[in-house]
Amino acid sequence: MKFSFTDLNPNVRQWHGPLTKDHAFGPGHFGLGHLPAKLAPDATTTMVCGFCSTGCGLRVHLKNGEAVNLSADTAYPVNLGMACPKGWEALTPLEAPDRGTRPLLRDEQGVLRPTDWQTAVTEFCAQMKGIQLRHGPHSIAFLGTGQICTEEMALLGCFFKFGMGGLHCDSNTRQCMATAHVAYKQSFGFDAPPYTYADFEQSDTLIFIGSNPCIAHPIMWQRVMRNSRRPAIFVIDPRKTETALAATHHLAIKPKSDLILLYGIANLLAQSGWIDQTFISQHTAGYAEFAQFVRAFTPEKVALETGLSVGHLFRFAEAIHTGSAVSFWWTMGVNQGHEATRTAQAVINLALMTGNIGRPGTGANSITGQCNAMGSRLYANITSLIGGHDSANPAHRAKVSNILGIRESSIPTEPSLAYDQILDGVRDGKIKGLWIIATNSSHSWINQGGLGDLFKKLDFLVVQDMYPTTETARLAHLYLPAAGWGEKEGTFINSERRVGLVKKVRRAPGEALSDFNIFKLVAEEWGSGEMFRKWRSPEATFQLLKEISRDQPCDITGISNYAFIDGEGGMQWPFSEKEAATAEINAQSGAPDKLKERRLFADGKFYHADGKARFIFEEPRIQPEKTDASFPFTLLTGRGSSAQWHTGSRTNKSEVLRALAPAICYVEINPEDAKRLAIEANAKVYVRSRRGRLTATAFITPTVQRGQVFIPMHYAETNRLTLASFDPYSRQPSYKSCAVAIEPA
Amino acid sequence: MTDLAPSDTRTLIDELLAEQRSLTAVDQFARAHPRHNSFGLGQNYRNLIPLAKPRDGEQYAFVVELDKCSGCKACVAACHSMNGLDENEMWRSVGSLHGERNNKPFQQTVTTACHHCVDPACLNGCPVLAYEKDSVTGIVLHLDDQCIGCQYCVMKCPYDVPKYSVKRGIVRKCDMCHGRLAVGEAPACVQSCPTEAIRIEIVNQSVTSYSAVAAGATLVPGAFPSNYTAPTTRYLSTKQIPATARSANDSALRLEAAHWPLAIMLVLTQLAGGLSVVHAAFQLATGVTVRSMPWAAMIFLLAGLTASTTHLGRPLKAWRAFLGWRESWMSREIIGFSIYAGFAALSAWRPDSLIISIVTAFVGLGAIGCSAMIYADTRRPTWAASVVFPKFLGATLLLGTTIGGMLTAFSAPKLMPALITPSAITRVALFSWEMTKLFRARHNPKSPLQRSARTELKLLGHVLVARGFLFALATALSMLAIFVKPQIGFNWAIVVLAAITVASQLLEKHVFFAACPAPRMPGRIEE
Repeated sequence: MKFSFTDLNPNVRQWHGPLTKDHAFGPGHFGLGHLPAKLAPDATTTMVCGFCSTGCGLRVHLKNGEAVNLSADTAYPVNLGMACPKGWEALTPLEAPDRGTRPLLRDEQGVLRPTDWQTAVTEFCAQMKGIQLRHGPHSIAFLGTGQICTEEMALLGCFFKFGMGGLHCDSNTRQCMATAHVAYKQSFGFDAPPYTYADFEQSDTLIFIGSNPCIAHPIMWQRVMRNSRRPAIFVIDPRKTETALAATHHLAIKPKSDLILLYGIANLLAQSGWIDQTFISQHTAGYAEFAQFVRAFTPEKVALETGLSVGHLFRFAEAIHTGSAVSFWWTMGVNQGHEATRTAQAVINLALMTGNIGRPGTGANSITGQCNAMGSRLYANITSLIGGHDSANPAHRAKVSNILGIRESSIPTEPSLAYDQILDGVRDGKIKGLWIIATNSSHSWINQGGLGDLFKKLDFLVVQDMYPTTETARLAHLYLPAAGWGEKEGTFINSERRVGLVKKVRRAPGEALSDFNIFKLVAEEWGSGEMFRKWRSPEATFQLLKEISRDQPCDITGISNYAFIDGEGGMQWPFSEKEAATAEINAQSGAPDKLKERRLFADGKFYHADGKARFIFEEPRIQPEKTDASFPFTLLTGRGSSAQWHTGSRTNKSEVLRALAPAICYVEINPEDAKRLAIEANAKVYVRSRRGRLTATAFITPTVQRGQVFIPMHYAETNRLTLASFDPYSRQPSYKSCAVAIEPA
Repeated sequence: MTDLAPSDTRTLIDELLAEQRSLTAVDQFARAHPRHNSFGLGQNYRNLIPLAKPRDGEQYAFVVELDKCSGCKACVAACHSMNGLDENEMWRSVGSLHGERNNKPFQQTVTTACHHCVDPACLNGCPVLAYEKDSVTGIVLHLDDQCIGCQYCVMKCPYDVPKYSVKRGIVRKCDMCHGRLAVGEAPACVQSCPTEAIRIEIVNQSVTSYSAVAAGATLVPGAFPSNYTAPTTRYLSTKQIPATARSANDSALRLEAAHWPLAIMLVLTQLAGGLSVVHAAFQLATGVTVRSMPWAAMIFLLAGLTASTTHLGRPLKAWRAFLGWRESWMSREIIGFSIYAGFAALSAWRPDSLIISIVTAFVGLGAIGCSAMIYADTRRPTWAASVVFPKFLGATLLLGTTIGGMLTAFSAPKLMPALITPSAITRVALFSWEMTKLFRARHNPKSPLQRSARTELKLLGHVLVARGFLFALATALSMLAIFVKPQIGFNWAIVVLAAITVASQLLEKHVFFAACPAPRMPGRIEE
């Protein structure tokens, strides 16, 4: 027997005590399994996440009505019990010490000082009205966001245009989804992503173009991994991304050669007769011209332009042909390009010509960026009249004015300037008052180097945000403290068109108000109170939006109220009253629940008047900035990790998320380039473009090709380098390619 | 409404602010989830945890299917939330390996937590028996209330698993959610992995034990050799991970915790031990007793031991530190220094007793040997026995002769050079040895000391310059003391020499901790 002190007196080993108790576990109830006793909830509720467009359901653990913790919801049809780190940490940014608690107004010394709401809104209205008086009604503008609730966007867009008499407004969705919006609208007749997430599981061939879901949309990648058909997965990306490594095939094309590749593949399919002639003739228009057009994109030419071999091209085309359910997925690699709209439409064309649309596991599918990009596209009243209407169409104008109780004449018929044009307007002195809501332009805008000086040209800059500390908020004349996700109610619409619910589970700090309430307050002060009486609450507003959606492709009249959304686990549009009635009958008769996952175009009917989808194509354009001897590298940008969200104004508030990504800017460079330039691993380097310079830590990796470098978008300095060039149709910035030089620091 | 103000004075702002403060989710959405639903999650992970309990010689282990891991890091965040960890506390981490395979780019994310080793180094090192390897599950549990916050487990673990919490004054670590497993629920990381890359399996301990592990085998390329602790996690991959793959932070250098209290403690205890040795040797060789030496030894020793307690997160529980004597060099060191403290007091009380002086010197050396073993036992190359023993014994000799020489200068000035001469020789020998080692390792990628050498040169270059300066000054002063007849006031120069020597040793001990890279699992890109 071994001697042991603990045998003599077991108390010398303390198995229990306050520190142990702190980590004690007990049943969490509510189907949550065991949880730390100190965090045991007394109720739970489900709401959608407020970061990306996946739209995961998060189960919020409540104690006395307030959120103490959360976990991923196992019953929500989107995420099936999973979440990415941002979702798990969604409550943390709300507790940040730098939350705005009072409005801040810049005084004569140029210092932002706390003030009360009355002074803030009085100042807002006086300044904006003064500007309109001096420079005309269209000399004010707003830049909105895809991060606030649909009801809030709608109120903002309607108040600005119908109440304030403004015209020029845009949203940061211009930076992520404008291309998909325009591409779908032109091709399908309506901005309608056709898919449902179940398509990830039902495809036998998945093609990702400029898309890195492992990092950007991890929960969508979860759905891919649930696919039990051992699918072929193609990734088209210049970089060997995490997704490219997980895929079965990676086509490492030269940057911005995607359009040529897609036309070349279309040509191969057409030449080989690997097309769905029946689908083409019944449901599409313009195929013959398209087939004729792509003849010029011979495999040899395409191979030369893309850097792929002819064999690769044939095998890729063959895979599309042999797949019985082929789905095409694109993200920012396509949307953020100088010929983005045509590229997105080239993807759509492949799906159309092979009949890969409307069936399970198919589709030309744009993966959205922000949690409510879809809400913004449909209801923000920015580029199209609210509800996906056309402000030039008298019937649409009458409908909207009728439902909202506004004069038809107050609906402007001219189009608004786009984001870049609004900034040009500021530069030219045409825009003098700017209202920025929940976006951080000074970090995120392309070639943002001059933005600080540009904003100084404004007579009045208002920034409405959760934090007065963002790069943009620090420049404001007036800062308005906004409540965040989880501190207000409303709905988001995700990538698969699912309307999900946001709930109030935390108290906003200090005097921060929800964006909805801020808009109400400003409208009242402006004198437009009467116009928005019906917009009593977010839910009352939702009822108005339902009416507006009636008979549109995005009809949601069948969604009775918020409680219905809550009960169903979100609801995809369209869901009209008619569909709701059918669903009711089906439910009563015990028919299987087909509501949870629905895709569009099963009947082959598109939204153009003739019911046919269009083949849209155009000669590729020259890249705005090619590499040369002085700037020999192509700069690629994108997401760096799943723990960072855009400019980090929220995700940087969480120590957990900060620990999961490098804190300072780094640049990925190929080992051979590094060797040639005598750049050592982890050394500091300068990366220069014609616009600016940044210092970064070199990360040497063969996952980037020679002649290319990659810098994540989450670092403020990245967009000092990017070139302000835009797709001519969507006005979306081309973040993904510009010429840079790199040298040891 | 308890609002006393008449309602017509309530402005819209008041109303909106009041509305903003109400929490409505519970009232409005009556479809609150039913409370008595304990297995809602079960369907998600039924296949990911074992149905049976481990049998004799078996235990639970993490299994990671690398092919499925996409690097989303949900496991880290979910572990944090579902365990209610502190804001800056993480028990799981995700790193990545990079390299080339068949001339094609290779990249693999690696999720890692505690490996619940068959022979846990943390447990073996703990001086207070705050670790328990569960007899049924094999999970390495930490007894939070037993921990005194000495952080030796942090140094012992080759995977950087135990995490010290300054706020709590203790270490905490992954317990494989044993409370969940006990009731048939999966650990947080297993539950939360979107691609089911992590699961729990039962493994045979003899298969994973170090005797069965091939020499040099590691969990993944770059990880610490598994034959140290026999980690049980299994990383599976259908793709061959190239052996040349490197962690994303392989080239990044970082400073480790400085542990100033420990640095001070090492200098002072080695100074005390040196004085005890010099006292005995001097008595033996010359028959002269310098009474201040054993006194100084005792005072420096007590100061050193006091400094060491400030290192502890919970110093009031330090009395437990003897419990781990069977395995822990930390326990042995504490016991060793306690005995030495007794003899040091005795020696101060009876300075003339040669036998007491000699025994005290040996006890002191023994305790310093235990000190050295604390570090050697971590198996970090920078702290290998072949490095730490010469370092500690050299420092003991240097400090003992220098400070001893200083004390002699005041009581028996003529004999001073007899101590300052060996002091100077030791200084030159020690410094040259250290510098040779440093500059040799710097450019030698095969040297296990290269990383620490690069860390010292790149991040602690200023310390090195300061040490070089102090070395030159001390050597010059020594030369003066040895070769030039001592003048009036020269004793104070020897005091300066002693102070410089102590300062230089403090800097050396700082580098000893700060530039000793802790072995870790693959990490992320670092600045």
